Amino acid sequence: MAQTDRRESTNNPARVAVTAAGVISPLGFGLAETLDSLRSARDCVTPVMRFSVTQCRCKTAGQVSDSRLLAGNSQIPRSGRLHRASHMMIQALQELVTRQPGFEPELTVIGTTSGGMSYGERYYRSLNGAGDLRKAPTWIANYPAQKPVIDAQTAFGISAPCHVIANACASGTNAIGHAFECVRSGRYQRVLAGGYDALAEMVFVGFDSLQASTPDKCRPFDRQRSGMVLGEGAAVLALENLELARKRAAPVLAEIIGYGISTDNFHITQPEPSGIGARQAMERALTSAHVSAADVDYINAHGTATLFNDATEGKAISALFNGVPVSSTKSMMGHSLGAAGAIEAIVCLLALQHQFLPANINFTVPDENVDLDIIANEPRSAAVSIALSNSFGFGGTNASLIMRKFEA
Amino acid sequence: MSLAIAGMGWVTPLGTGIDSVWERLLQGEEASATAISEQFVDRVYNVFRVPESGLKEISHPRLRRASAISRFAAVAGLHALESAGLKLESQNAERIALVFAISNGGVVYTKRFYHQIVGTGAQSASPLLFPETVFNAPASHLAAILGVTGATYTLIGDGAVGLTAITMAEQLMANEGLDYCLVVGSEEIDWLLCDAYRRWRLLRAAPPIEPFSTQHRGMILSEGAGAIVLARNGFVTIERAHAGGHFGRRAEAGKTLQRILCDLREPQVDFVISSANGTFVDQAELEALQEVVPNALIYTGKPALGESVGAAGLWQIILAAQALRSKEIAPVLHTNRSLRLRLPFFRTPMPAARRAIVLSCGLNQQAAGLRMAIG
Repeated sequence: MAQTDRRESTNNPARVAVTAAGVISPLGFGLAETLDSLRSARDCVTPVMRFSVTQCRCKTAGQVSDSRLLAGNSQIPRSGRLHRASHMMIQALQELVTRQPGFEPELTVIGTTSGGMSYGERYYRSLNGAGDLRKAPTWIANYPAQKPVIDAQTAFGISAPCHVIANACASGTNAIGHAFECVRSGRYQRVLAGGYDALAEMVFVGFDSLQASTPDKCRPFDRQRSGMVLGEGAAVLALENLELARKRAAPVLAEIIGYGISTDNFHITQPEPSGIGARQAMERALTSAHVSAADVDYINAHGTATLFNDATEGKAISALFNGVPVSSTKSMMGHSLGAAGAIEAIVCLLALQHQFLPANINFTVPDENVDLDIIANEPRSAAVSIALSNSFGFGGTNASLIMRKFEA
Repeated sequence: MSLAIAGMGWVTPLGTGIDSVWERLLQGEEASATAISEQFVDRVYNVFRVPESGLKEISHPRLRRASAISRFAAVAGLHALESAGLKLESQNAERIALVFAISNGGVVYTKRFYHQIVGTGAQSASPLLFPETVFNAPASHLAAILGVTGATYTLIGDGAVGLTAITMAEQLMANEGLDYCLVVGSEEIDWLLCDAYRRWRLLRAAPPIEPFSTQHRGMILSEGAGAIVLARNGFVTIERAHAGGHFGRRAEAGKTLQRILCDLREPQVDFVISSANGTFVDQAELEALQEVVPNALIYTGKPALGESVGAAGLWQIILAAQALRSKEIAPVLHTNRSLRLRLPFFRTPMPAARRAIVLSCGLNQQAAGLRMAIG
């Protein structure tokens, strides 16, 4: 067990490799489909059919196809009982395990915001007289947030203890960032990290009630932006001590080199207007990575397309960076909350591997108050060595992750 | 690196404050149950609630609309900082991390918000309620009240999450940029939670909780919070926090607990704070304890305090710390006296006690443990 050895190596931190990854999102099932969607700047947001949205302003979301999702896991015992989030986690982990069968994590760190919320909704609706309660024990057993993580681990014989982080929309980035620090400190050699979230009515209505979601397209950083659309998905990354990964000849897809976290305490739902929280997270990530702002080639922004987020994030980025290309890939797939940071880390990974900058689609009118080089509507070919990914959440929690192209 | 407990705070159905609750437990007292009902169903459940008097002392703009879970956490967190002699100012606000353990979260507002959607439609859903339904809302309120500007994490899980949070705190404290980590666990009760646990065959209709009984009659839910300030020096040391594990089926829980206990049993421990709560957990713990630490004294506080799920792990650690400090242990209530297990049936002095294990088996597949010592 790694925790028996309390060595610290803060003076000589370990390098942290990403040796495998798996993803499922509205952009596609797996890295190849995700890359294809990113290269095509595909708009993967579709009308919501899962529950009634007639009373909501927003009627669209980035969604994962159920038929494909469930068909892929038909071999799992009692798979019909599992929550969709479990199915997503299983498929994401399957891709990772297939690519890297030798990866045996000592710890798992996964982010989420809503766990098995839709099963809680079914239970409540049934209690309230609108349904049959015979399935209630199944709904209740599959509701807890750790269940999809344990289901996925069990499906592939992984017994690592798990931390499930629920830091709102920053959860996925926090999970990868914490996993990175666990490996970098030398306390762990191999950590599985990622995030998941499945669309749920309550969350959808919640963002709608706040008027944070839009009836229009999701247009991050656009002057005419009017809010976010939700998304869903799961993504996992195998984080490993680089030296040990190379010793066992594991492929190194990229390095994670920095992580920053801050709490701005301004408001439960709104970012601090000056952008100080976002800025601190990015500054701390740069310090952690031992790189300067000028070294960063691409920023995958949190970019929810809400008025407040994009204004404050834009302010923070332009205060720290000088003309770095920025995009929010939420424009293509929606905001998958606890999964977003993990999926966007994979977007950065693909950008580093394939040397391109993913697009910020639906961008029509630049916002004169946001001084950024937006990668508008089409991806760009570019030399990308270092990418930074931002995630900011309710409660003033802010996280930034820095990844580097691996040079052997 | 070793971590130590520098301060503690406790909000329970037996009262608020470390010393007063501990004294009542030593006296063999237990919380009294309150019946709660729901408007659209006849069934009534008994729970252990926190007396309102324990929460009067706190007032903050952030708590105006906050649910009970946030208020419990705020009181426990402030008490813990105060007992550690720690005052947060802008110079040290980055040097303290907050790890918040949670299980069911803000269930009262979540139910209310969803009830609006189901009852009168999405258009009537309140934008004021929704943010309080998010799992990290209590941590956000607490961070704002305390002024924490560095790392804040909400960790979610079952009854074992409090101990997992200590493991995470230990991982965070590997960073020399941190001096302290405040670990808080909090839970609030709602009828809906009781109904869910009953349907899962884990809840009984009325007290008592009968730990280690051959018949698993179930638990009684309770609410409150526990908070611990971890530092590099303190009055009780966390010698080792086990990262824990998970089990696929309830029948496999005992094996997982045995593995955890085997990793923690050396050097010899004097007593174990167990998580026995009248459910399947008891059998799993009984087997593991008899097998791995047959000579240790075993205590569970759940018959007296109830099952507080997200707060439970922190409560267990507080119980262990108090027992190590006071060199005595409270009586286990409502238990079977013919068990092959060393249980304190009375207030029991432990003059030589130096080490304890805290063991937690959650109700949803997670288990964890840690070992504590006093100098």
